[in-house]
Amino acid sequence: MTVPLLELRDVTIALRGSNRRMVTGVGLSVSVGEVFGVVGESGSGKTLLTRTVFGLQDDTYLAGGTVSFAGRTLPLDGYMKAARKLLGGEVGFVPQDPYSSLNPTMRVGEQITEALYLAKRMPMNGTATRQAAIDVLGEVGIPEPELAFRQFPDQFSGGMRQRIVFAIALAQDPKLLIADEPTTALDAITQRRVIELMLDRCRTRGMAVILISHNLELLRQSVDRLAVLYGGQLHNIAETAAIGHHTIHPYTEALFDCIPSKGKTLEDIRAIRGEPAGAGFGLKGCAFASRCRYAEPICVESDLPLNSAAQNGFTACLLGRGAPQ
Amino acid sequence: MSAPLVMLQDVAKSFGRRLLVQNRSFTLSGINITVNRGEVVGILGESGSGKSTVANIITRLTSYDAGSYVYDGRDVSGYLKSESFGFKSKVQIVFQDPYGSLNPRVTVADSIGEGIKLHQPQLGKTGREARVRQLLDEVGLPPDCGDRYPREFSGGQRQRIAIARALAVEPELLVCDEPLSSLDVSIQAQVLELFVKLIRERHLTIVFISHDVNVVRLICDRVYVMHEGRIVEEGRAHDVLTHPQNEYTERLLAAVY
Repeated sequence: MTVPLLELRDVTIALRGSNRRMVTGVGLSVSVGEVFGVVGESGSGKTLLTRTVFGLQDDTYLAGGTVSFAGRTLPLDGYMKAARKLLGGEVGFVPQDPYSSLNPTMRVGEQITEALYLAKRMPMNGTATRQAAIDVLGEVGIPEPELAFRQFPDQFSGGMRQRIVFAIALAQDPKLLIADEPTTALDAITQRRVIELMLDRCRTRGMAVILISHNLELLRQSVDRLAVLYGGQLHNIAETAAIGHHTIHPYTEALFDCIPSKGKTLEDIRAIRGEPAGAGFGLKGCAFASRCRYAEPICVESDLPLNSAAQNGFTACLLGRGAPQ
Repeated sequence: MSAPLVMLQDVAKSFGRRLLVQNRSFTLSGINITVNRGEVVGILGESGSGKSTVANIITRLTSYDAGSYVYDGRDVSGYLKSESFGFKSKVQIVFQDPYGSLNPRVTVADSIGEGIKLHQPQLGKTGREARVRQLLDEVGLPPDCGDRYPREFSGGQRQRIAIARALAVEPELLVCDEPLSSLDVSIQAQVLELFVKLIRERHLTIVFISHDVNVVRLICDRVYVMHEGRIVEEGRAHDVLTHPQNEYTERLLAAVY
């Protein structure tokens, strides 16, 4: 078996100060070139997990478990610093809001050449650097990349800005791209264009992608494997191709049942009763048990199983539903 | 057949450049919308298409520059003060953001009861309180939660409160401006179920503003598709959203996941 690009083993994330454990015991691995999805409702811990793992979250820390990237295990001491080193080089990041992630006072070109300088030590004013920046702008589908190079972010629409953010990440030639709800702020038509372009370019370059979203249908159609988080617990890792063909994890199933996707009638939609559990549920029992239609006493009493070996397919269901085939 | 409840004819409105971000001026033009009693009419469009402006015109929260708006056979531009007051109990709105649309310093019962106090003063305090409890129950909240404040409720529960508040004055028309958009998927389905229940039980006339093609297809009888301040297509929701005739509608449908 090949070494996974990113591997999390029993990762627990806690708040600084109160030490409250928000995300507990997450194990997953992403292979080279894989498109991996993370789905969860608000408060599920999906953003907290990725932001902490890559050292972007100031108010949380890695309270347990190990994170390995390209075969190297990151130290628990000084974790944040070590994780931040990966960013802007081996790991690219595309945040949610393209209106606040670009520097409004810097020309687009400069923001890309800066990334080239920081990641690859290319001289900021070199002709080759400039050409590389223009090339990457063209690659993400910006019309007239040479003109765009000299323009400011506010001269672009949301979709174009998100492409520019993507271009900055792409310029560094990372091995892994993290995209946290990259299209939530965009319109439907723009959303599909940006997602398809992003995944296509990453696949061409053999880059792995972690796509975080609350849009289940988008993920099902876009990614190879999907991790489902709920209440700060990892509930399910499933191959998207398998979804709909055999038994899946109860929460994943319930999520698919409640979205009004194409071809569904009103009768097909089954709402999940109750309110979503926030992150920080812990490991005593399944966070979803109170809303689950299959729940039995064991679901509240037993500890939730962990994906300690970071296997490719996983179900945390205490009733064993959705076990990999 | 009775006259339509809402009839917008060639309504237009333009905004100055200064009002808008990105220095783009925006115009709404040639808006013809008819809503008959008992119908659920969808207005579908992406952000910036002008659909919320249409909602605000229908509820008279904003003015229009040209065209006419006839509500229940009477042109609203000729309304007397008393008619304007009456209109407010006939047409109610549910907004997108349940965190912003409820006054945080007012208890839930007072928020819901305020309209009843104004428009049905004959009910008195006890009658009003009974109405509020009944409304809370109808939207799926505990009837005795009225003395609590909005902050004690989740987003989905707040949207239920906003719906109860809108229904309190027994409106003829309910305008819903993206009522599901700011909710989590599992909660969206719950509130969607509530809408379906209300449509079936109360035979409400609803204008449902949304960018979600699937939700519109599921609950609306007819739909108007808006793009850049114009209506590009209209018709029976199921027909338009399965066999679009307009090029934009087609692109929109193709993009939906």
